[in-house]
Amino acid sequence: MGGVRKRIGTWGLATYFIIFLLFIYGPMIIMAVLSFQGRYGGITFPFRGPFQGSWWQSLVDANVPGSKADEISRSAVQSLKLSAAAGAVTSIMAFGLSMAFRRRFRGDGIAFYLIMLALMTPGFLVALGTQLFWKSISWPTAIWPTALGTNTIWGIPFGFLVMLAVWNRYDDHIEEASRDLGANQLTTFREVTLPLVWTGIFGCFLFGFTLTWNDYDRTALLLNGSEAVTLPIQIFAQTQFSAIRPDLYALGSATTGLSLLVILAALAIAMIRMKLAAKSGGPEKAAIRAEETGEVAGFKVGDAPTAAASGD
Amino acid sequence: MSSSSPTDDHLKQEQQAVALAEVEEAEQLSAQQPHSAEKALGTDISIARDRNRKASLITFLWGLPGFVWLGFFLVAPVVFIILVSFWTRTDSGFIKEWTLSNYGDIFHSHTYWMSMWKSFLTSIISVAACLVFGFPVAYFLVMKIENQRNQIALFIFALAPFWTSFLIRAVAWTYPVAGREGAINQALGGLGIISDPISALGFSELSVRVALIQLYILFMVTPLFFMLSQVDRSSLEAARDLGGNGFRVFKEVILPQTMPGVVIGSIFIFVLTMGEYGSVRVIGGGNVQSVGTLVQNRISAIQYPQGAASAVLLIAALIVGVFAITRFANLREEL
Repeated sequence: MGGVRKRIGTWGLATYFIIFLLFIYGPMIIMAVLSFQGRYGGITFPFRGPFQGSWWQSLVDANVPGSKADEISRSAVQSLKLSAAAGAVTSIMAFGLSMAFRRRFRGDGIAFYLIMLALMTPGFLVALGTQLFWKSISWPTAIWPTALGTNTIWGIPFGFLVMLAVWNRYDDHIEEASRDLGANQLTTFREVTLPLVWTGIFGCFLFGFTLTWNDYDRTALLLNGSEAVTLPIQIFAQTQFSAIRPDLYALGSATTGLSLLVILAALAIAMIRMKLAAKSGGPEKAAIRAEETGEVAGFKVGDAPTAAASGD
Repeated sequence: MSSSSPTDDHLKQEQQAVALAEVEEAEQLSAQQPHSAEKALGTDISIARDRNRKASLITFLWGLPGFVWLGFFLVAPVVFIILVSFWTRTDSGFIKEWTLSNYGDIFHSHTYWMSMWKSFLTSIISVAACLVFGFPVAYFLVMKIENQRNQIALFIFALAPFWTSFLIRAVAWTYPVAGREGAINQALGGLGIISDPISALGFSELSVRVALIQLYILFMVTPLFFMLSQVDRSSLEAARDLGGNGFRVFKEVILPQTMPGVVIGSIFIFVLTMGEYGSVRVIGGGNVQSVGTLVQNRISAIQYPQGAASAVLLIAALIVGVFAITRFANLREEL
């Protein structure tokens, strides 16, 4: 009897899980479906056909009547630039902080809480505070560099946690081996440490990129009015129009689609790397092999100090 | 009980003496060790100290950019919110003249307190609903999906929307789904459950609350998923074998072990929903105020100090709330 009951429980939970997925994905799917309506399509059901992509076309083709193609392309470019910059800043800062936390230092407890505070502070407050701070010292706020700063505050703690997880599985002995073989610190860092943790750093970049790509709260308060706005700001502006059209849905679906593509790419890279690591025995094994042969990434470790001094 | 013979006693004493000697020898050895270590290293100890200092410097240099950045874009802004809330308003902004009148202004504002209270209520409802609706999801993924690859794939699939824009998900929620003509009203009408569309479903307090669950539930599912993965399976089986029914096993075995996840998820959702701004504007359609929209109204009216004072009260509410949530967890652990 217990078995039957258990099976009913499992099926009940499975049904619940599907309902949960519908709750999470449903609105986005409905939005995407409605974006493929014909010319007389509205913003709610019923679907007014024919099934076509003219609303999507109006996103990029300024000749379609009522198209916002110019604003959209300007804001898309601005968003891409800002997100890439935020990704770069996030990965540099998060990586540096995680390197500092590999050793204990005085005040590291408070420092850790400070980074967690960055995770916990609502974006709206960060943006408001930045506006007040910059106004106090008479600097005008703008997307560059103010919104860049507020956006990375959200990405850095995520990146930091990713890097902590990476260092957790990292074997410090590899660096010791490299140093014992005569490589100086710079060479050890460049030839041993970085190749082993670059996926983590790339993860930081993706965090910084996607969080900024999708942000509204951290950017909205810091506009100066003359710069091109970001995509989420543009989307918000379009929700405030008196007549909302399905092109808003097309824009939303396109932005969401790009976010999902970025995750898929990240997952694919992670999987490829795992497969490669399984095949060749992983970079750790390669480093141990290098230790045995006295060779690190192509040149003798003994030459390393001179190589580092003459190179770069 | 039994009397021991003299030879036995003698033997025992001898053994004790040997044992004592061994202990003393060991103590002497351990006392010598630091000296011998120093002797072995000899003059190297000063070099080691130098190297230590160099390592500290490197640690400092690695951390410096990050901490300067956090200081500039996180600490200074929060400090200035507090400072400006005590400064005096001018027509173009504020000047550094200390005053308490900004707080007096908002303390006497009925709308401010109503919005604060409703925001608070919305956050509490969101936390509770995310916990109640999120727990079965995490439980299903961890306990019912045996194949680990499938488990992770389903988890990532459920998690993916976290990477998309909250604003767009808010837009998707309002017009096509929850509005007067939205899918929910149409479905209910089509099924004959309601005759007139329910307008309270869209652009209202209710729609904000339901949508916030949809937006934030993943913040609860994720920590629960990780905590549940670490629950000791054998303790579950033991509890069941000992005759614990489903509810008791849940309450006495599963819940205590997942409590840290509940706390982390609750803190996240409480803080982020209290500070919610853009989504509330979209979902509420101007009919719903949050602390964020209130502050924004003040800023638009060039009342920076009053806006800052509202934000300070929000920060205070957040600190009290987070403290209360962590207390709750400690209490549960003590019980």
